[in-house]
This record gives sequence, C-alpha cells and structure tokens, in this order.
Amino acid sequence: MHLSPEAFIQIWRGIVMSEHVETVKQTSFLKKIRKSYIGWLFILLSMIGISLFYFYPMIQAFLLSLQSGMGASLEYVGLDNYVRLFNDPTFIAALTNTVLYLLVQVPAMIILALVFSVLLNDPTLKFRGFFRTAIFLPAVTSLVAYAVIFKYLFSGDGLVNEFLLSMNLISQPLNWLSDPTLAKITIIIAITWRWTGYNMIFYLSALQNVDKSMYEAAKIDGASAIQQFFFITIPLLKPIILFTSIVSTIGTLQLFDEVMNITSGGPGNATLSISMYIYNLSFEYTPDFGYAATVSYVVLLLVVVLSFIQFRVAGDRD
Amino acid sequence: MKEIGMKKFWTLLATILMVSLLAACSNSTDEEADSDDDAPAESSGDAEITAWAWDANFNVAALEIALEHYDNDDFDMEVIENAQDDIVQRLNTGLSSGTMNGMPNIVLIEDQRAQSFLQSYPDAFYPLDDYFNPDDFAPYKLSPTSFDGHQYALPFDTGVTGFFYRTDYLEEAGYTHEDLVDITWAEFIDVAKDVKDNTDHPMVSLDPNDLGILRVMMQSAGAWYTTEDGTINIEDNEPLALALEHFKEMMDNDLVKLNSDWSQFLADFNSGAVASVPSGSWIAPSIEAEESQAGLWQLAPIPRLDIDGAVNASNLGGSSFYVLNIDGKEEAAQFLGETFGSDVEFYQDLVREIGAIGTYIPASEGEAYQFENEYFNNQQVIYDLSQWMEDVPPVDYGMNTYGIEDIITAEVQNYLNGKSLDDVLADSQTQAENQFK
Repeated sequence: MHLSPEAFIQIWRGIVMSEHVETVKQTSFLKKIRKSYIGWLFILLSMIGISLFYFYPMIQAFLLSLQSGMGASLEYVGLDNYVRLFNDPTFIAALTNTVLYLLVQVPAMIILALVFSVLLNDPTLKFRGFFRTAIFLPAVTSLVAYAVIFKYLFSGDGLVNEFLLSMNLISQPLNWLSDPTLAKITIIIAITWRWTGYNMIFYLSALQNVDKSMYEAAKIDGASAIQQFFFITIPLLKPIILFTSIVSTIGTLQLFDEVMNITSGGPGNATLSISMYIYNLSFEYTPDFGYAATVSYVVLLLVVVLSFIQFRVAGDRD
Repeated sequence: MKEIGMKKFWTLLATILMVSLLAACSNSTDEEADSDDDAPAESSGDAEITAWAWDANFNVAALEIALEHYDNDDFDMEVIENAQDDIVQRLNTGLSSGTMNGMPNIVLIEDQRAQSFLQSYPDAFYPLDDYFNPDDFAPYKLSPTSFDGHQYALPFDTGVTGFFYRTDYLEEAGYTHEDLVDITWAEFIDVAKDVKDNTDHPMVSLDPNDLGILRVMMQSAGAWYTTEDGTINIEDNEPLALALEHFKEMMDNDLVKLNSDWSQFLADFNSGAVASVPSGSWIAPSIEAEESQAGLWQLAPIPRLDIDGAVNASNLGGSSFYVLNIDGKEEAAQFLGETFGSDVEFYQDLVREIGAIGTYIPASEGEAYQFENEYFNNQQVIYDLSQWMEDVPPVDYGMNTYGIEDIITAEVQNYLNGKSLDDVLADSQTQAENQFK
C-alpha cells in the first residue's frame, strides 16, 4: 500500500492522540482490547496462516493417530496405536538409533563448530574468509546430492577405503555401509560434515559481539587461551549454544534424507531413523497412516521434552 | 480530522484483507473449475488418457510401442514418467484423500505391492475381466493381480529368473553347461566353491539389504512369507529355512561379493568380478551392455531348492498395468486389452525394440522370440526364459511382503552373526505377527 508521508504522519498522530485521550478516560477491558486492535490486525494474517497450516494439520494428525487400518479404510481404535509402539521392535530400533545419533552427533558437532569458530575468529589467521567459506559450504549443498556422494565415498571400493588402504591403515576394504556399527558411524560422519559449518556461522556471528577488552583484560590477568575459551567465550556464547543444540536436536530427530539415501535404513534396520520408519509405514508397506501419525507424534513429544530439558539445563532465566 | 484519518486507515486495512482473502478464494475456485473442465473432456470425444510408469527405456517405451500398435484414431494417451517411489506415494496420498483429482487412467504397479493397493483402496480400481482372457497369461502372474474374484491388472513384464553365468570362469572350474542345468541350490554352492578355489572369483554379488535371492529360492518351492489367507508363514516355513541356510553358507564361505546399491551390482558383473548372476530376465540387457564380454555368457535354469515339488523356475520382480476407476476407464481398459492383452505382433516388437518379455503365453511362438543371441553363445535366450516362465510356481505375495522383509533383513544380520536359525525364524514370526495383525 502506498501512503504519502503526510498521510502516514497523520495516521500516526491519530494513534498517539487517541491513546492519549483514552488513557485520560477510565480504561475498561473492552477499551483495552480496542486499543490493541491494531496490533492484532497486524498479526491476523500470519495467525490465520499458522492456524490453517500448522495447528489444523496438527489436530488432524492427532485424530489420525487414534485410527488404524489400511489405506483409506481407517477406523477409530482409541489408544491402541500408542500401546502398539511399545511392542514394536522396529519402532524401538528406530528410536534407539535416533537417540544414539542424537547423543553422539549433536555434542560432537557443537564442540567441533565451537572450536572452528574460535580458530577462525583469530584476527591473525590468514585466508580466514576462505576457510570460513570452505567450512560453511557443505551447508548449502542439497541433502540428497551430498548423501549420494557420501554413499559412493564409503562404498566397498569407494574413495575412503582406497585412501585407508593406500595409507596401510587397513588390510582389506571396510564394509562401511553393510556393517551395522560402521553404517551408523558413516551416517554420523555425514551429518556432522553437512551441519558443522552451519552451526559455526552462528558462533562466529556471536563472537563478533564479544567485547575484545574482556580478552585483553584476561590476558593481562595471565589467563591462557584455553582458560579464555572456557571462562569467557563459552559463557558468553551460552544462549547461542542453547539455540544451536535445540535446532540440531530437532534436526536429528527428523533425520531422513541421509539415512534414506546412504543406507536406506540398513543393514537390517541398523541405521533406521524414526522419520524413515514413518515413511516406510506410509509408503513402503501397506499404508497405515494412523500408526504413522502416532509415530510422528512421538517425534513431537521428544522435541518438546528435549527442548524443555535443554532450557532447564542451560538455566537461563532471561 | 484525526477521526477521519483513523477511519481511512481502518477501511484501507479491511479492504486489503478482504481483497487478499477474495483473491485466495477465487484462485482456488479457478483451479477447481479448470480441473472440472478437464475431466469431462477426457471422457468425451478425443479421449485423452494419461498413464504413469517408471523407467523410460522399458515400461514407458512399452506403453508407447503399444500406442503405435493400437488401431484407434480417437485414442490419445500421454505417458508420464515418474519414479516408482513417486508413483507409490502419489497413489497412496491421492487415493486415501478420497478424491480422484489428478490421478492417471492407467498406472503401473509392482506385483509384490499390488495387493496392498487393491485391498487398501477397494473401489479405486476398475476390473478388467471383460477386456482380455487371463488364461492367456502365465499363471503365476494372476494371483498377485486379482482380488475378490476379479482380475484388476493386465499382466505385463515377467521377472522369470535365469542363472546367467560366465562360461570362461565355469570352464576353468571344470563345469560345462550340462553340469549347470536343473541343479539344486546346494549343488550351486558346491559349484561356487569350486569357482572360488579355481578362479578366485566370488560366484555372486549380493546386497545384504535386498533379500531377492531368498524370495527366488522360496518361490521355486511355491512358498512365500505369507500363506494365501494372509497368515504370516515364517516359523514353520521349510523352504525359507533352507534358503536362509544356503544364504549363510554362501556368506560364510566368501562366495559373495557384497554390494550396497544397484550400480555397484551392475559393476560387479560388468567388470568380471563375479562369475554368475542368478536374477530376473530383465538383467540380460545390463549384462549385454558390456560388449567386451560377448560370447562369454550363457544361461541355465535357476537352481531349485532340494524340496519336494520345487521346480527350476522362479520369479524376481515384474509389474502390471492397472486402470483407475475414473472417467476414461473403458477407453483405457480397451486399449490395454487390444495391445498387451492380445497382440502377438506387439510382443515381438517389445522383444526386438526394448528386450521386454511379457507374460502373454502365445507371444513366445512369435518370430522375435526365436532369436539366437550371439552374446549368449547363440542361445535362444528369450525363448528359454519364456518357457521357464510358464513353470513359475504361483504364490500369493499378499500385502506385507515389504514389511515382513524388513523384519527378516534385520534378523538375517543376527543370523549371520551366530544367532540360531530356529530363533531367527521364531523371532521374525513374532515380530511380523505383532506388526501385521
């Protein structure tokens, strides 16, 4: 919409004046609502959008999770699907795998990203821009494309095996993709490669806001670089660390592309993730959308609980 | 003055909201109107039929060749190539939403998946009983494609299996073609051991995530993961138990080169790393793709399990065409019936142009099927395969092949690591029963 500056100023004055007038009068509840009307209007569109495209599907998905059956012939079964979860070894395997990814990968990646960001924040480092770009670059690659490339890197006669063989570190090629433990490690290496640079950028930008004089003061007091890292950098980055670990946790819980493309959940279901199990239930097996919705609600529950714990542990009161 | 300013502002805001809402509404009605316009156009006059299939060089090409053979000027068909996974997803989401908007008239579905669609969406498909004679087709192809007494698909390609082998490697190990004809899987393993000792080549390339070879062994004895009435059949499934023992013996004796995807599988025989490929007929063009190995390959019937009633014929994969129950179904069904359902000449072209072997039995007497393939030592590869095709034991793939197979794949890992076969089968049975009640 185009408003001339004069008109805009007039409107603005109108708002200010009417507020002024109203504060003079007794403010009733209704008046309060009326006062904030304009604010509500501004967020109305996005509220409608969010309700329509987030909350409505969420409620529908919950109702779906109370139904079971093949394809279109669903019927209400109460909480049967939720009971079924506990007796479903495939679901438990998927959950265990996902939790394992979470426990190993998220801390490893956060630490790695922190180390990189502190190293790259050093003003005396040459080619900083190049290194930053190089480490961030994986984050702009397509998930599927990089997953396929990793699959080839780690295949029986792939580059990783060739390299390890030529360095005489192994005597025969490792079955990266068909050994249950190695397959998990491959997935973890892949996700870490893809997302470390992404998290690093958050830390780098946060480090720009840290007052240099703190480090100078610490130096004068005789603090080593490691002490500076633990007693200045980490505490100051705490909110960002919290943010990135929540985002990474949620991301890992929704892990799909890598598993689908690198191992398709195998060998057996050694690398199966919850999201991939949801996919299998909906499209790979005879479709049971009800049970698939139940499993997806488990992901939601986990996200909520884990985020809550992280907020608590980080203990920021502001 | 200020009051008016406020009012103007409110009016403006309200108008913007209204306009954007109206725009959104009118957009959607436009779209609906469009699709409504399309639908009747399809059913009337110039009959624009759509078909979904995967694999441009095979299934899509087959539909296009069929269109050339179809003698009906009023008929026009658009074939849309989709990945198989995409077709499965779109059908599932489309059919479960209850609207048939955007669904194709003809769709290709893999036989092992067919029952899951037919039973999940009973009214979505159009029965084809009146458009062709199912008795003209290989019997094993009918049970996966029919439901509730009706034939719902026009059977298309066969996955009849053959034991493709390298003549030079097998000769070096002391075997002739006659030694390899009509053998059991136990004998196959003995051959594989000799090949390994004499040539140092593993016999086969397998993906530990793909239990295709177990299914091939099982079907040669007429067994499957489920029985005809859908009961899970793992624990007391003698053919499956025997197949698993063979599988483990091959793994334990280094007779297998492991691959982790399709292109590695292809590379394993194109590079000469493995001595044989026991697989579906559709693998032949991929073997022939390596021209330097011309004349070094031959084909024997697939080994059988050493069980009463087992035959040297089995199947791996294959799919069929379905007609959706929407406007244009009669035209689509008639098209399929007059091409895939009865045209012997069309099947000769299929073999000549894309190497696709259908399951239409009369086609095998046609001229193209008699072709002596120099690549395979002048063997009549297509003819041999089509003869074996008629012997493939019919099994009911049921609804849960893929679900059960994921459970068994996981248990097979345990089995290879030393878990006892009885426990493996019993645990798989319990898991499958829990999951697919």
